Amino acid sequence: MEYSMEVKNLRKNYGDFVAVKDLNLKIRKGEVFGFLGPNGAGKTTSIRMMVGLLKPTSGEILINEEKIDDVERGKIGICPQELVLWENLTCRESLKLMGDMYEVPKDALKQRINKLLKDLFLEEKANTTVSNLSGGMKRRLNLAMAVIHEPEVVVLDEPSEGLDPQSRRVLWNYIKSLRDDEGKTVILTTHLMDEADSLSDRIAIIDHGELLRLDTPENLKKEIGEGDVVEMVLSDPEKNQELMVELEKLDEIIAVLEVDGQVNIRAMNAVAKLPRIMEQVEGVGVHIADLSIRQNTLEDVFIELTGTGLRE
Amino acid sequence: MKFLSIASKDIKELLRDRRGLFFILLFPMFFMLVFGFAFGGMGQSNTPHSIAVVNYDEGATVTYTNQTMNFGNNLTSVLEDVKYQNSDVHMFNITKTTEENADKLLKQRDVDAEVIIPKDFSKASVALIANTLQSSTSQSTIQASSQSSSQSTLQSTQSAGVSTDNITAKVIIRGDTGYMGFGTAQGILTGVFQGYEDDIVIEVQNRIQGTPGAKPHQFIQTEVEGMPGTEAFTSFDFLAPGMIVFAILLLATSVAASLTREVNTGTLERLKMSKMKSFDLLFGSSIPWTLVAAAQVVILFAVAIAIGFHWQGSINSIILAVIVGIIGGISSIALGMIIAAFAKNERQASNLGTLITVPMSFLVGAFFQLPQVTVGNFMGQNFQIYDVLPWTHTLNALRSVLTYGSGWDAISYQVGMSVVLTAILFVIGVFLFSKTRLRAEK
Repeated sequence: MEYSMEVKNLRKNYGDFVAVKDLNLKIRKGEVFGFLGPNGAGKTTSIRMMVGLLKPTSGEILINEEKIDDVERGKIGICPQELVLWENLTCRESLKLMGDMYEVPKDALKQRINKLLKDLFLEEKANTTVSNLSGGMKRRLNLAMAVIHEPEVVVLDEPSEGLDPQSRRVLWNYIKSLRDDEGKTVILTTHLMDEADSLSDRIAIIDHGELLRLDTPENLKKEIGEGDVVEMVLSDPEKNQELMVELEKLDEIIAVLEVDGQVNIRAMNAVAKLPRIMEQVEGVGVHIADLSIRQNTLEDVFIELTGTGLRE
Repeated sequence: MKFLSIASKDIKELLRDRRGLFFILLFPMFFMLVFGFAFGGMGQSNTPHSIAVVNYDEGATVTYTNQTMNFGNNLTSVLEDVKYQNSDVHMFNITKTTEENADKLLKQRDVDAEVIIPKDFSKASVALIANTLQSSTSQSTIQASSQSSSQSTLQSTQSAGVSTDNITAKVIIRGDTGYMGFGTAQGILTGVFQGYEDDIVIEVQNRIQGTPGAKPHQFIQTEVEGMPGTEAFTSFDFLAPGMIVFAILLLATSVAASLTREVNTGTLERLKMSKMKSFDLLFGSSIPWTLVAAAQVVILFAVAIAIGFHWQGSINSIILAVIVGIIGGISSIALGMIIAAFAKNERQASNLGTLITVPMSFLVGAFFQLPQVTVGNFMGQNFQIYDVLPWTHTLNALRSVLTYGSGWDAISYQVGMSVVLTAILFVIGVFLFSKTRLRAEK
């Protein structure tokens, strides 16, 4: 297996605070690698070290088996979480500047700019100054500027933050085309489950600077997230704990969790188990205010692993 | 040629940020205008001084002609008529008024000085004339003296001949001794009074000798001798180059803010990830600011001329001034880099910049000459403590070419020094900025 990037015992301390704790990762060539974690989990800190913008306290990063400090500039392209743009330049000027900085030959640069503007639906705004673009357009330009030099590894830090559904769709398609058509390695951080689920080949779940699990989305769901989820809101939420104790006694229930005041029950073939569950509810002496059954998602896996919902 | 791309980017950003550009170019212009109007007239020899005259004189009869005269009115009209030598400009703007009103005008500085002619002024003058007639046997004095106090007196003491009375007329020149305008006006007035007294004596003597005739009143008592071409200079002529240097120094603040903005918005990180070198960024961003410095020199110079700067040189001196300004501008860019190496955000960069550049302007003597503090001798020139700052040499060179119209020979030492000091400062700036901003964050 060929690896684009290897992260060995990566650690970052800020005084007593450990932002990233001995992270070990191997990112394969040509995969979309998802970094999933709540805000403040250490995703951005890890990413900044992985691209060479931040010095790690200890550990090392290899790009194509070469130490990051020795790697020729331009192998990595990073699209930061914030909009990092020159407000007074036009889209085309911004892309041209970045192309020049990466020493992209003139003719190739011209073609690439046109292609990027087309792929990211910015053609009409090519000569509009950045300050006059909408939020979504700025996001797309932010991305275009990261890939103008066709880097081997594209790092996207929360790329769909603040995007409308339409722009998000454009972005997702583009990320897929980076992998499928251009064979790029894409590293993606996100706190959006559906984004990680639908884009990533593999997902690393990280919280408090620690790697909790690394696998494909399917395996993650299968391993931790078998079955369906019954979400139940009781008329008296104070009885949640009492009911959960009773439910845990049942063999056919895989797991019971309290999330945001509601009781989440995971079980195989949940519909068939409903009568047994109802018995317990009545036994505790409460009514059901709301109830729904859905398939297990990555979010459930996430909650199971981190013990919390996503921190905003 | 990545630095050219950076330069072109910075020029576009600079030109498209109209408000920022407006501030950068107009703020120093505003200073130039204020200083121009405040100091434009000061020190200039042929400007009328505003004087309020309060005349209490009751008049008297001149004994030998039997004419009734009011010498107070006569003195007032003399003051009104007197002109500068070889010039049509009157020495004084006279306002005849009451003492109460004159005091008010004085307090508002609408007039530079107030002259109070006493009621016995004519009597004293008549006594002087009588005394002159008997000059062979007696002495008479009219003293015009200026004291360091706020009052100046003209005394006429008659002590012999026809009358035995001692008549003393005291003309008061009242004003604010701390006010520069009063100092000048009072000096000239004292001279004029002395001349007036002398003229009376001469006229009487002429009449006795049978050569009556009006002698024109001309009372230039002092003559300022200056360098050729500087006779018409005002304080502003010395201040204007200082204003240009002040503007150039202020550029450091703009440079620091613009570099810090690049850090804060994260665009610098984008550039850091690319193949750009420190040189590309710092040399590239210096180009537009150098152009701004050149523009500053030309614009401010034009404004200065428009509001009364006495330009001595030729078109060559402007070219020299622009070159000197550019070198000074590069020093400011270096200073801006040093500030940007430490400032955490744009606001801090601006504040820190102002905190450094304004006192620096005083140190290099942009507003007034500081006391000389010679620390040694270098290449036959006295080396002042302020000479370690490149802008001191920028200012000296600008003053030479713009105020005195000197050529390259006169400024070669100053330019040489400013190039050397600028190079040192630039190296420090590049080193500090690269170290703190262009390496991987710790």
